[in-house]
Amino acid sequence: MTLKERLGKEWLFCDGGTGTILQEMGLKGGELPETWNLSRPDDIKSVARSYFEAGCNIVNTNTFGANSFKYNNLAEIVTAAVKICQEARHEAGRDDDAYVAIDIGPTGKLLAPMGDLPFNEAVKVFSETIKAGVEAGGDLVLIETMSDSYEAKAAVIAAHETCDLPVIVTTVYDESGKLLTGGSIEGTVAMLEGLRVDAIGVNCGFGPDKMIPIVERLARCCSLPIVVNPNAGLPRTEGNKTVFDVGPEEFSRVMKEIAAMGVQVMGGCCGTTPAHMKALIEAVSSLPFKEPVRKHGTYVTSSSECVEIGPKPVIIGERINPTGKKRFKQALRENDTDYILTEGLKQEEAGAHILDVNVGLPEIDEPSMMENIVYKLQSVTTLPLQLDSTDIEALDRGMRIYNGKPMINSVNGKRETIEAVMPLVAKYGGVLVGLPLDEEGIPETSDGRIRVAKKIYEAADEYGIPRDDIVIDGLAMTISSDSSSAVTTLDTVRRIRDEFGGHSILGVSNISFGLPARELINSHFLTMAMQNGLSCAIINPNNDHMMASYRAFCALMDKDPQCLGFINAYAEYKSDGTFGGASSGIAGTASSSSAGTAKLSLAEAIGRGVTGRAAEAMQEGISAGNEPLELINAELIPALDKVGKGFEKGTIFLPQLLMSADAAKAAFEVVKKSMEGKPRQVKGKVILATVKGDIHDIGKNIVKVMLENYGYDVIDLGKDVAPEIIVEAAIKDDVKVVGLSALMTTTVVSMEETIKLLREKKPDTKVVVGGAVMTQEYADQIGADAYSKDAMQTVRYCDEVFGV
Amino acid sequence: MPLEVTIPENEVRRYMGFRGPVEGSPETDAMIKKAIASLEKDCSPRYVSKAFPVTVDGYKVEFADVVIESRALARNLAGCTECVLFAATAGPSCDMLVKRAAVTSSAYASCCQAAGAAAIEAYCDMINDKIRNEYEAKGLFARPRFSPGYGDLALAHQKDWFRLLDITKNTGVELTDSLLMVPTKSVTAVIGLSPNRLPCVKQGCEACTMASTCAFSRKG
Repeated sequence: MTLKERLGKEWLFCDGGTGTILQEMGLKGGELPETWNLSRPDDIKSVARSYFEAGCNIVNTNTFGANSFKYNNLAEIVTAAVKICQEARHEAGRDDDAYVAIDIGPTGKLLAPMGDLPFNEAVKVFSETIKAGVEAGGDLVLIETMSDSYEAKAAVIAAHETCDLPVIVTTVYDESGKLLTGGSIEGTVAMLEGLRVDAIGVNCGFGPDKMIPIVERLARCCSLPIVVNPNAGLPRTEGNKTVFDVGPEEFSRVMKEIAAMGVQVMGGCCGTTPAHMKALIEAVSSLPFKEPVRKHGTYVTSSSECVEIGPKPVIIGERINPTGKKRFKQALRENDTDYILTEGLKQEEAGAHILDVNVGLPEIDEPSMMENIVYKLQSVTTLPLQLDSTDIEALDRGMRIYNGKPMINSVNGKRETIEAVMPLVAKYGGVLVGLPLDEEGIPETSDGRIRVAKKIYEAADEYGIPRDDIVIDGLAMTISSDSSSAVTTLDTVRRIRDEFGGHSILGVSNISFGLPARELINSHFLTMAMQNGLSCAIINPNNDHMMASYRAFCALMDKDPQCLGFINAYAEYKSDGTFGGASSGIAGTASSSSAGTAKLSLAEAIGRGVTGRAAEAMQEGISAGNEPLELINAELIPALDKVGKGFEKGTIFLPQLLMSADAAKAAFEVVKKSMEGKPRQVKGKVILATVKGDIHDIGKNIVKVMLENYGYDVIDLGKDVAPEIIVEAAIKDDVKVVGLSALMTTTVVSMEETIKLLREKKPDTKVVVGGAVMTQEYADQIGADAYSKDAMQTVRYCDEVFGV
Repeated sequence: MPLEVTIPENEVRRYMGFRGPVEGSPETDAMIKKAIASLEKDCSPRYVSKAFPVTVDGYKVEFADVVIESRALARNLAGCTECVLFAATAGPSCDMLVKRAAVTSSAYASCCQAAGAAAIEAYCDMINDKIRNEYEAKGLFARPRFSPGYGDLALAHQKDWFRLLDITKNTGVELTDSLLMVPTKSVTAVIGLSPNRLPCVKQGCEACTMASTCAFSRKG
């Protein structure tokens, strides 16, 4: 029987610790354990053999840390490891019923955006190790000790793209059931099940007793075989040695308890030995075996959030979508990601649970944009996303780098779409929105829609996508052209719940297209739909009426414990219908409506850093017929100059300077909006970067704002930027000026390197430098074209270079 | 998991460059308070520590399998028989908060940045106290904590801390190729333990050779 056939049908046992045993055998601190595959193969074999002899079915190769970051001779190391393990199995007489697991541990690097290892790079690194292991004859891939679900995803994709071997994943949780990156047990399981691994579990971290509550939660949500590989207790240091306190007897006693909780595969981790495994196997193999049971839950996840669809309606924010929005289209064309991210953050603050992401525009590269926006959004919000596109490549690229299990919008009953979208969901996992329309068009009756919905469910079966992961759209269409359309939609929603036990979704506001006072129809329709069982509402959460319907529904339907959500949202509600606290401003702009700022002029508002008023004053100025550029020159810039001078003199402090900059930015945004469609006056393109090794970028950010305010397009490469990246960007867009900042004396060296490389590869680009340790003398020394002591000077230098 | 300590508001202001008795505007005050509240709520701090016997000979300091040449560290650890290495982080959510704030408001981002710096320092002080109390009970007295990159203790020794404490696995902090830590609000340090109680020694800014030029130095 193959391992796949046995997993979940009978007790299987993993091995115990390896690293801790090698230390006993003399492995030194700092010495890489995998080198022993070549230098001390007999010792490695003896460890593996003793595990096979103890009765373990799954024994790991000594490749936990084997990756191309650490080894130039990776293939040799991995091949040797597999061969050693195979020989050990043979010598133990276990060729027939034991398996050699290609052991994959974390890379040791954090994935971007948190760290600097790009997701696809991580996939590549894992693939190299797995490929070598597969070619040497490994029987399965065991991905273990993962403390970041995103890295686990990279490893699983690597395994699936390299081979057809079974894949087991175990992760490390802390005592509260969280990964180091914040992911929960339920969210991690949902993501891994979506990726179709063969077994899921937990290893390392602590001893078996502390794993009990974790295994309980795992058993409640996981439909796959469960693996439990604890340490022999918590590590402790004695002098310079690490010791573990839980002996074989105690270990097997607790593991016996865990075995009864619905676990199928057991083994050990750090500090456990062949003796531990022998005791474990003796204690557990005769116990009754429980096969895993399919759980019915629908989860959409991110790095650390896990939204369950079903218990109460889920709000999906609809604003990241260019349809009918000029300003959004402009942002897409100009690659103005901050604008798009702000749309996302506003919705999060307004109460959205999931964000829909639609960045399709005919004239842009949608797949790249989707990948970029998903990445950027996930670096600033933990809300799960719904990837919304008809472009299959855009979905593919977005789903691949997505951190977690996304929602996918959408598939429909057309065979062609099913065949394009469902394989992606089968590969990456996801909760899939199904539109009940097909080759014959949109059915006008709920009967027709239910028929197509059935077809979509059956197609999901065909692709092995659980029906729990399908959400059917009730298709809201405007009542202004067909007055019975809402009735049909509501019927469909109710029947999805009643006839399939399924979940439903609606793009709610479509119902009122062409009518006045749309929010009145929309919000009442939302209430009606929720009353008919709607699971997900795609709405504008910034609209007070919509959120009022949602909150009132939850309060009335016992979905808001003690009505706390409702009370908190409407503590400041006025009976004249203003919503008060329910629509508080976005992070940091809370001052926008503070009392006493209503009459400030544009210059005053910027001087005091009152964002909301600055934008308003600019709007008033434009509405009164003033030229936007005139307002910028006469009010905005002098106000900023005044603040800047105050900062220099020490009468104004950094936060006030930044607030003024924010206010100026908000006013500038109004100008941008007013110039929508008109060609923008751009003086030129400038690159800014804080050099490699330096993370102090406050100064650089001030320069960025100033340059933007003065009409420059700034390519902000961020902080800790390698010389190559700066040079590459300069060449790519043929940029005339590069601004570099460094705070520390130690990183001025990187600045010098960057300048050297620029001179070599892009000699016509000018370099202006700044930063706390910089002086004119220093700048000359490292070969910069100019030194700027502040942001204004940088602007003046750029004006000089660009001749404006 | 929230931060287990309170973030001192005056420290946040210091990191933001406020000097002396400054009258902040109500807007900045509100922003700083908001940043502190978010940080205290959203931080997921973790730490790992391990004790080692230590010897100091001239400028040479030895513990575990590490030999360090550093005048400043040798002075800090003089007379110590043991030392505790530790690593602490405010966690990834702190960096996300700063990135997130930067999208909408650089002013608020700078508040979060400063509050994050104050948060990890306050968290380290708490660990420091814990270690000091634990060893005082055993008759060993703690010296002020000392970090790689401080004085002439080369930043390259970060690698020893990462290896000896298995920091990445235990706390989720990574050491980049340029020896920076991610998440950024992270600290590594050593605390010397001596059987002799020393009179209150200089620590922090007062002991640092950069104090006269550093923009963030505590003054007055």
